[in-house]
Amino acid sequence: MKISIILGIIASFTLALAEQETLVLVDNLNIRETHSQFFKSLQDRGYSLTFKLADDANLVLSKYGEYLYKNLIVFAPSVLEFGGQIDTEAITKFIDDGGNLLMAGNAAAGDVYREIASECGFEMDEESAAVIDHFNYDASDDGEHTRIVVSPKNLISSPTIVGDQNSQPLLFEGTGLILDKDNSLVLPILTADSTAYSYNPKSQVKEYPHAVGRKTVLIAALQARNNARIVFSGSLFFFSDEAFNSAVAKVHGDKVTSNQSGNKVLSVRLSEWAFGERGRLRVRSVNHHREGEKESSNTYTITDTVVYRIEIEELKNGKWQPFEAKDVQLEFVRIDPFIRTTLQKKPNGVYEAIFKVPDVWGVYQFKVDYDRVGYSRLYHSTQVSVRPLQHTQYERFIPSAYPYYVSAFSMMIGVFLFSFFFLYYKEEPTKTKSE
Amino acid sequence: MTVEVQAKSRLPQLSSDKQLTFIKLAVLSMAAILSFATRLFSVLRFESVIHEFDPYFNYRTTRYLTEEGFYNFHNWFDDRAWYPLGRIIGGTIYPGLMVTSATLYNIMQFLNITIDIRNVCVFLAPFFSSLTTIVTYLLTKELKDEGAGLVAACMIAIVPGYISRSVAGSYDNEGIAIFCMLLTYYFWIKAVNTGTILWATMTALAYFYMVSSWGGYVFLINLIPLHVLALMLLGRFSARVYVAYSTLYCVGTILSMQISFVGFQPVQSSEHMLAFGTFGLCQLYAFTQYLRAHLSGANFELLFKALLTTLLATLGTAAVVLTLTGKISPWTGRFYSLLDPSYAKNHIPIIASVSEHQPTSWSSFYFDLQVLVFLFPAGLYFCFSKLTDANIFIILYGVLSIYFAGVMVRLMLVLAPVMCIVSGVAASSLLSLHVKDIEPKVEKHEKKKKHENNLVFRSEVGALFVCVLGCLLMSYVFHCTWVTSEAYSSPSIVLSARAHDGARIIFDDFREAYTWLKMNTPEDSKVMSWWDYGYQITAMANRTVIVDNNTWNNTHISRVGQAMASTEDKAYEIMRELDVDYVLVIFGGLVGYSSDDINKFLWMVRIGGSTERGAHIREADYYTPSGEFRVDSDGSGTLLNCLMYKMSYYKFGLVYTEGGRPPGYDRVRGAEIGNKDFNLDVLEEAYTTEHWLVRIYKVKPLPNRGV
Repeated sequence: MKISIILGIIASFTLALAEQETLVLVDNLNIRETHSQFFKSLQDRGYSLTFKLADDANLVLSKYGEYLYKNLIVFAPSVLEFGGQIDTEAITKFIDDGGNLLMAGNAAAGDVYREIASECGFEMDEESAAVIDHFNYDASDDGEHTRIVVSPKNLISSPTIVGDQNSQPLLFEGTGLILDKDNSLVLPILTADSTAYSYNPKSQVKEYPHAVGRKTVLIAALQARNNARIVFSGSLFFFSDEAFNSAVAKVHGDKVTSNQSGNKVLSVRLSEWAFGERGRLRVRSVNHHREGEKESSNTYTITDTVVYRIEIEELKNGKWQPFEAKDVQLEFVRIDPFIRTTLQKKPNGVYEAIFKVPDVWGVYQFKVDYDRVGYSRLYHSTQVSVRPLQHTQYERFIPSAYPYYVSAFSMMIGVFLFSFFFLYYKEEPTKTKSE
Repeated sequence: MTVEVQAKSRLPQLSSDKQLTFIKLAVLSMAAILSFATRLFSVLRFESVIHEFDPYFNYRTTRYLTEEGFYNFHNWFDDRAWYPLGRIIGGTIYPGLMVTSATLYNIMQFLNITIDIRNVCVFLAPFFSSLTTIVTYLLTKELKDEGAGLVAACMIAIVPGYISRSVAGSYDNEGIAIFCMLLTYYFWIKAVNTGTILWATMTALAYFYMVSSWGGYVFLINLIPLHVLALMLLGRFSARVYVAYSTLYCVGTILSMQISFVGFQPVQSSEHMLAFGTFGLCQLYAFTQYLRAHLSGANFELLFKALLTTLLATLGTAAVVLTLTGKISPWTGRFYSLLDPSYAKNHIPIIASVSEHQPTSWSSFYFDLQVLVFLFPAGLYFCFSKLTDANIFIILYGVLSIYFAGVMVRLMLVLAPVMCIVSGVAASSLLSLHVKDIEPKVEKHEKKKKHENNLVFRSEVGALFVCVLGCLLMSYVFHCTWVTSEAYSSPSIVLSARAHDGARIIFDDFREAYTWLKMNTPEDSKVMSWWDYGYQITAMANRTVIVDNNTWNNTHISRVGQAMASTEDKAYEIMRELDVDYVLVIFGGLVGYSSDDINKFLWMVRIGGSTERGAHIREADYYTPSGEFRVDSDGSGTLLNCLMYKMSYYKFGLVYTEGGRPPGYDRVRGAEIGNKDFNLDVLEEAYTTEHWLVRIYKVKPLPNRGV
């Protein structure tokens, strides 16, 4: 018993450690200095960062089938090809196996970036294209109007991802992203203003730009179906110390000025979300039973009243705590949902529904599919059979059939009496005629 | 020595009466043993297992019955079949077969004979055909005489038309139903001949057993009233028939309604109306006779006419009203297909797709009955020449079943016994006629001199005739044995073929695949396949299936047909809707197994397109412009890109199947496949058996990163 507890503690400890293992791929180690504030915030939160050059020949993500890292940061826009065992395929496999990815590029980012982006449902604009906004550029811009000022209003309205303290304007310099329309999982975290477009700032605009106005996404995210998270920023500058510290002064328009950009706050929030510190839900327990019973059952009879309880937890500050929401729904499905009801909130993160099983037999599933932007997808289904009444469960006597009961029984009595008289009644010989 | 002498000396001591009984008993028991033995080919050659597709369900339910008891069986809701609809097994089967096996099993366990339930199931049909032999003897004895009975018993012991459904390992309802049917007929003839309530009640009990075991009881409950009607028309209606039929109908109907699958049908559906009407007519007939005896002629005439008109008018209105309100169930498809062979084919693809429901070809009459085909008319002649109540019954039975056997191959089974009985009558009559002539006895010669002198070579002709008939009967025996051995004893679950050097090759792919499913897939995974394999998958692999051989829900089967006939994307939607985890197809192109899914594919298209949701699937799209069904490069594009094609031929383009042919040569269709180079997007190959007979695919989950 004790040993198992100790083993459990050790296991959870190592698991916690493994959660924090992060590989950072950089162009040159100089980035460690230019982006020191961002990395420091990660280290302060307990991540152990391993810095490697992106073209290091000894790069590995996994050893003996086990991943060495849980998170991957790629801040290497100039890389042409990753070194070692890492390539686009290895990274997508890393994501499919549950790893998180934070990636930032710039206008010069190469084809590797494009490949990874398209694997994740975004499209990076052509090489050397940058987001240009002639109306919203910063005072520190060098004349190409590529260092743009983005209002925090353009952020996705999901406090889970971006937090709720984004009031400062944001500085952005880099390439634009376009989201794949067919992919329902991608999220535009930050979009450009309607005056922006993405094109090579050095050349004349000859063709219609790929990304124009609000369709130009600056930071995009994707939460895969296995709840791996990817944050893809078109700007590496966005995470730099320079962007964190600099004051913002918009040249045109409403003259937005601020002593400090909102980049730092947002970057930290984004990294928290990307690496799974926030917005994670899990099902702690599920039980369902007939009303009035305690035992769980896999078989219900039609028109039973069923109690379904699910306990949901959310990861908050590194601890699993009861999840609070009002919109968790339960479906009772047999091809189509026969019942869809909002679960009632009970204390301690327990949600409960009491409902009557439909009068149709078959194999059903209790389905809780809670999919909200920013939260990991909570999906739980339990299969149960709903059977018809057993032969002992039907009503024995139906009121409308009483005439038939009466007729049947009276018939039986009648036949009995008739045969009794027929057999034992002896007619008195009538003597009148003979007389 | 002494024993032999004793035996020799003892034999003459038996009186001739006892000798006769001894011979009869010997012949009858030999016939019974023969009928058991000749059905064992498949077990001896292969194994003592259930061999066919359908019986696996019966086997599974029987096992459930023995393990869980009758009430659990009766209330059994099966969530492994027809996912996600489920199936109420207890209320949708004829439980007679399972109850019989379970009873036999329990009796043997009680007697400390430890026999496996599987073996009970395997040998049940041969055992019951032994019993059928005996019942046939009794029935024919009742019709004609003991000699005819013995001949008929010997004939039915080996008649291929009956063997086809009752070999060891084919554990199907028909195996015991034929016995029940003949038993009912025997009791019915007895009841008609004696007019006692006892025999009539026995008939009702036998009828109950029949109802509990096979849906073909409808034939029986129409034949007996027809017999009564015929007797009425021929003026042979008597108190005996009245007692027999009234008792049978009342007791039989109440008993048959106890089978939950039958339920209220005996008083509602049109198939049972003849029995009901005849019952009413019997009462009227008896009543009029009673009145006639008590009234004067003129009064009776008036009353009779008045009553008749009112009665007919009431009955007619009632029938119309009940049919319109749906109380009398409308004419079902199966019934129409009996009357009009093309009905089902034109209207209900699910019925037409079953090979058993196809019209019988003439050759199969000879194949299944051989010499009986020629003896039958002769037997009918003998029946007509001495018309009795019983003979009328057998004539009706013979003529009707010939008609029905012509409509549906499967009903050959009903025809075979009557063929044997009537032929038995014929053979016995002919033989007894001519055997007498072979040894002209002196006294006889003197007595009937005048008649004898009319014909010359009488004894020679007689001898010749007996020889010819003997030869015919011999050839019947050889034919039957050959047919049984070659045609009806090859199981479907294991296939065998001959190699070039004559050695036998066994294809055991089905069981290989089912075992793979059982061992390698999660317990609750759902397997989609065409319905033919549903029962086997549930019984052998113990996995949930979407559709199975109990084709009760046309829309659900149609949905599977649509999935098979659609492109991958469309099919993926259907498969996700039905929570399918694995898809199983049967593919014979590598070894030349012709009843595979590609050859059944047109039925999937037809059935898939027969419902509203499958309206986009049109049969014509799967043919070439010239109207052919081809899988080679001339084949239609729709066919070459549908899910079934892709699953069958995935990676087949890389395989050399026959020398001198290009890779991807399909040996069943005799063509090089048209679409070789393709990948599967929504499926991945999970398992393919040794000879590619069964291919199993896993349905991929939705892509992790969304696209």
